[in-house]
Amino acid sequence: MSLQHYLVISSILFTLGIFAVLTRRNAISILMGIELILNSCNLNFAAFSRFVTPPENIDGQIIAIFGIVLAAAEAAVFLAIILAIYREFGSIRPDEVDTLKG
Amino acid sequence: MVVSLISIILLAPLAAFVIFALLGLAKRSFPRQDLLSTLAMLVALGCSLYLIKEIVPKPDPHTVEWISLGNITLSMGFYLDSVTVIMLIVVTLVSSLVHIFSIGYMHGDPRYPRFFAYLSLFSFSMLFLVVSDNLLGIYIGWELVGLCSYLLIGFWFEKDSAANACKKAFLTTRVGDVGMFIGMMMLFTKFNTLSLYDGAQEGIFTQAAAQLTTGDMVWLSIAGILIFCGAIGKSAQMPLHTWLPDAMEGPTPVSALIHAATMVAAGVYLTARMFPILTATSSLVIAYVGGITAIVAATIAIVRFDIKRVLAYSTISQLGYMMLAIGAGSYVAGLFHLTTHAFFKALLFLGSGSVIHAFHAMHAHHDEDHTDEAAHEHDNHGLVHEHGSEIPPDQDMRNMGGLRKKMPITFITMLIATLSISGVPFIFSGFWSKDKILGGVLGRAMEWNSGHHYILFVIALCAAGITAFYMFRLIFMTFFGEPRNQEMHNMAHESPWTMTVPLIVLAALSFPAVNHLWFNKNNFKPPDQPHIQAPQHAYVSPDTKIAFSLFGLSEAEAAEEEGGKDTEQADKAHHAHEVAHNIAMVLSIIVAGLGILLSWLFYHRRRFSAESVATTFRPAYNLFWNKYYFDEFYDGVLVALTVWKSRLFAKFDLSIIDGIVNGVATITRKIFAAFIGFFDNRIVDGIVNRVAEVTWAAGGRIRRIQTGAIQTYLFVVLGGIVLIILIFRAL
Amino acid sequence: MEFTLKTFIFYGFALITIASAFAVVTVRNIVHAAFALMVTLFGVAGLYVFLQADFLAATQVIVYVGGILVLILFGVMMTSGRLEMRIHIERGQLLLGGGISLALLMLLLTVIANTPGWKNLTDDGTPLPPTTESIGNLILGEKFLLPFEVVSVLLLVALIGAALISRKEVRD
Repeated sequence: MSLQHYLVISSILFTLGIFAVLTRRNAISILMGIELILNSCNLNFAAFSRFVTPPENIDGQIIAIFGIVLAAAEAAVFLAIILAIYREFGSIRPDEVDTLKG
Repeated sequence: MVVSLISIILLAPLAAFVIFALLGLAKRSFPRQDLLSTLAMLVALGCSLYLIKEIVPKPDPHTVEWISLGNITLSMGFYLDSVTVIMLIVVTLVSSLVHIFSIGYMHGDPRYPRFFAYLSLFSFSMLFLVVSDNLLGIYIGWELVGLCSYLLIGFWFEKDSAANACKKAFLTTRVGDVGMFIGMMMLFTKFNTLSLYDGAQEGIFTQAAAQLTTGDMVWLSIAGILIFCGAIGKSAQMPLHTWLPDAMEGPTPVSALIHAATMVAAGVYLTARMFPILTATSSLVIAYVGGITAIVAATIAIVRFDIKRVLAYSTISQLGYMMLAIGAGSYVAGLFHLTTHAFFKALLFLGSGSVIHAFHAMHAHHDEDHTDEAAHEHDNHGLVHEHGSEIPPDQDMRNMGGLRKKMPITFITMLIATLSISGVPFIFSGFWSKDKILGGVLGRAMEWNSGHHYILFVIALCAAGITAFYMFRLIFMTFFGEPRNQEMHNMAHESPWTMTVPLIVLAALSFPAVNHLWFNKNNFKPPDQPHIQAPQHAYVSPDTKIAFSLFGLSEAEAAEEEGGKDTEQADKAHHAHEVAHNIAMVLSIIVAGLGILLSWLFYHRRRFSAESVATTFRPAYNLFWNKYYFDEFYDGVLVALTVWKSRLFAKFDLSIIDGIVNGVATITRKIFAAFIGFFDNRIVDGIVNRVAEVTWAAGGRIRRIQTGAIQTYLFVVLGGIVLIILIFRAL
Repeated sequence: MEFTLKTFIFYGFALITIASAFAVVTVRNIVHAAFALMVTLFGVAGLYVFLQADFLAATQVIVYVGGILVLILFGVMMTSGRLEMRIHIERGQLLLGGGISLALLMLLLTVIANTPGWKNLTDDGTPLPPTTESIGNLILGEKFLLPFEVVSVLLLVALIGAALISRKEVRD
């Protein structure tokens, strides 16, 4: 179980998250994709903390914890925005929310 | 001392006007502007009298540099000699008396304060003209008095006739002023200065003297005549005299001050002042203009019925006399006549003002009656033209008569003035001055054996006789006989003391003896003539003596003054003049007596009927009555010519200039504008529109990129990232 | 590399994680997707355990599975009617997204494979001490106190902001 294993796993998670964000036509699905991306990041932090820095140094894990906290905050605000959008447009499909269309 | 005195003389009347003007800006007026102006004039008079002591034989210029342009320097300053002082005294004295007279005469006028402010401004301008030591200063004063004349003639501007008269006066004198200005510029170009006589001996006089001896005189003659043109306009000489009779529309004190005593005399003063530059040719022109004016104006005066018009033509005639004297070389005699004339003519005008004032109350109430009366008069005469109806009833001598008892002071003072102007011998000043003019002209004729001057002498003699005739006609019609208009006669009354006192003072000044009080022989010296030796001016020398005698000194005393200066040539001239004066004196007494006698026979004894004479000499009468058709000539020829010329120019403007302009406009519009329009529409607008369309189309397409959908943006962002990384990998 | 039980379990976790993540992005029912996400999160927690990050793994389970996932499910319940449970996907978008994603994956894998410092960093299997104590010391010590406090303020702001945004507009 080398660093590269973890990196490959996190890459796949990241790519899947991007794919979800790009293709899913539902705001909550997009949020799930974002969560995947964030998880891949946290996994990377933890892996680098484990393998690149000396094992006693666990700064990477703390950054990962902060990442989780940020993900929680982001999820809360995201869902609040989704609720507001839903009230405004009656839908949470991102392609229907196109007020900024030129 | 001299400078401060002159400054006071100038500033006192100016201050009176400025106070009025400043208060006027604040929409207020000094309650006793009349007293203020009068006081200012009395102060100026006192200073002028004091100045007599300050006269020095040599002219004493006090100058300051005024304008400096490159190497041209114009200076301003005072020039004090005996002529200046005499003019100062004449102006301040007459002006003071007229001020006092106006307090009574103008009482109750709605613009009473303004009248006095104008009088003050006029006095300042006239005094400035007199004391200036350079032509520019004289010109400034000259135009200022013209302005004041305009304002005062048009003082009752509600009357159309007054409004027209002031315009006529202003425009007519302007014609002469143009000539004067050109003359000034000629002198300036030649001598590079406008100072008459500056300390460095580079004034116009000094340089002109040099010119006169070297003999290059054609342009100097022209300059002299051109400057005299200014005097022709201002002093109402032929042919620019027509404004002065019309100027009688102004208030009578104005006529006395401006149009009899001072402003019109400014032309004489200027001509006398410029005497040193006059050549024989220009002198002759001046003499003829003066002589013709004297006789023509006198003949016109015979047939006038308006008391002020008679005096106006008399003034023109007398001014012509003065010009004649200057032209004949007796410029001292001319100035002397100016002085005496100023006093007695002002007196005559003020006296007529007193009469008019006496009638004035009637005028308002019985206007209609008078028109009837005038119409009646027309029938009787049968000769009176429609002009007669233009005369205001209170100025019409046909309404007067028998005022001798009603207005004794006015009568006596006016009689004295009439005796003086008519040349009644020995005790009246007018006799002496007129006689010296006649003597000067005859003396010149004898000395040079010149036919021209014999003719001029005859003209002057005739004019003297006619003057006596029409002046006594005025007196007889106004004061003697039975009242022609009983109603007006009953209303008439002697004027208040403010009006009679000036009359009495002026009457006193008509006697030479009184003039001795202010005239100090020891201080009066003839003006220094730098070029007195110039041959063509040799005759001046003996003539200066005349001035002394005319101011009451004996010939012997005058000769003493001259001392042994007489050269042989002057001796000969002196002899000729002595003989001439004796002849002239006898002849002038004869013609004056003849004139008075005829007048008495015609208008007092009614031995002859003026009407029948007029009928007999109908063409002459018509000529005189119509004032030699000068106004008609100007109207019919000059005005018509101007109008015709204007129409021609208008036609030229309309057809040719406008044609060219319109043609150019058409060409421009049709060709250039069409081309430029095409260029603008097709090319410039085309480019602009194409750019706009391209932008519009591009925008229309590009805006599709802005879908507003976040996922599209994300696609682009991520695709971009991939591309960038791939590109960098490839590199 | 010998094929031990540990290795087997690791690969198992990795497979579960990736497979469930794939399900998250592919299933049409949003509720199913949410549950698949839960599996993924557990999988990641397991991987943390393999990295000997015990506190992190616990936090992952508590915060993500107990907090965020429940939040997402609430969101689903409040916004999606019965009809909207199915996630709409367009074919063109799918292809394009898939292409870009694949390209990204390729890039990442290339970078991972070719970065020299990352090779041969293997887990030798020596157990490390529990991290909870040191994390507590670090967070409340000098090194991370300020970020910790900032993050707490951020959480508070996010809380208030979320409440403000999501509440019904009061018109007056």
